[in-house]
Amino acid sequence: MGDFKILAVDDSPTMRRIIINTLKRAGYQDVIEAQDGKDALAKLKVEKVNFIITDWNMPEMDGLTFVSTLRSMEEYKNLPVLMVTTRSVKEDIVEAMKAGVNNYIVKPFTPDTLKAKIEQILAS
Amino acid sequence: MSNTRNLQQKLQTEIVELTKSINEIISNFKQLKNPIQESQVKVPMATNQLDKISEQTEAATNHMLDLIENISIREEEVIKGLTAIKKLMPKDNEKINNLLDGVIEKTNINVNDAFTIMNALQFQDITSQQMNHAASLLEEIETKLTQICTVFGIDPETSEEEPRDKKERVYDPHADLYEKKTEQKDVDSMFDQVKK
Repeated sequence: MGDFKILAVDDSPTMRRIIINTLKRAGYQDVIEAQDGKDALAKLKVEKVNFIITDWNMPEMDGLTFVSTLRSMEEYKNLPVLMVTTRSVKEDIVEAMKAGVNNYIVKPFTPDTLKAKIEQILAS
Repeated sequence: MSNTRNLQQKLQTEIVELTKSINEIISNFKQLKNPIQESQVKVPMATNQLDKISEQTEAATNHMLDLIENISIREEEVIKGLTAIKKLMPKDNEKINNLLDGVIEKTNINVNDAFTIMNALQFQDITSQQMNHAASLLEEIETKLTQICTVFGIDPETSEEEPRDKKERVYDPHADLYEKKTEQKDVDSMFDQVKK
């Protein structure tokens, strides 16, 4: 997975470390991180990213606004986005779909689910 | 004349009753004043305690993550070392080869267990959101208590604790470690349906 770079966005440093470790164990070695949507948009300006994993509840800019902002930008219109969040109310999931996430994982997640979802998105 | 007297008497009775009621309200209110003042100090204390729990749990979790990462790195080095030793060993030395295989297998189990422990630490993000939710409810109560004090002219009780800045609290009110409103398999079905 040579030039494949993943951006992990989560306000919890613990979650970011868990996600990054899980990704590295799954073979995705190139992972960068951001603490919220605003920080992620700043990182995207300087780094070319192939895949985004984002939380929903974050300060400054939440995950939903972040995804909507991405989808409104031509260059990130088709960038794969996986949302990983505690939000499990059906209406929230529908809202995330409308915002443009490619798939959705409810926390706490298993490493197998994370790996499978990434593979599923990349295959589609 | 008698009508006026009657009215005066009725009015007097009403005024006496009203005075009694007002006295009762004042007495009740006096009884309420102290608990309200006390709550004005205790509610922010409870909020501070929740924030402390959150911060200290996060620090402890990150310390555990440091240790787990270091254990994993060391165990992987052990596996590499043992594998190298195995390659140097004569193939026919079955006893030593079996011994090495056994140690490599156990070390691999340790690495997997460390990874499982690391994943279990996701609880910190969820409990931190639950505590933020509780703290936010306490802050609402604090605001309402202040409003009551302002309306009734109660002097706020001074706390020995340092006044704190209000935090921006982000949380999912339904965050739960064990009970999800929608299970992952149902989330998957929702996405599958959209694809069809």
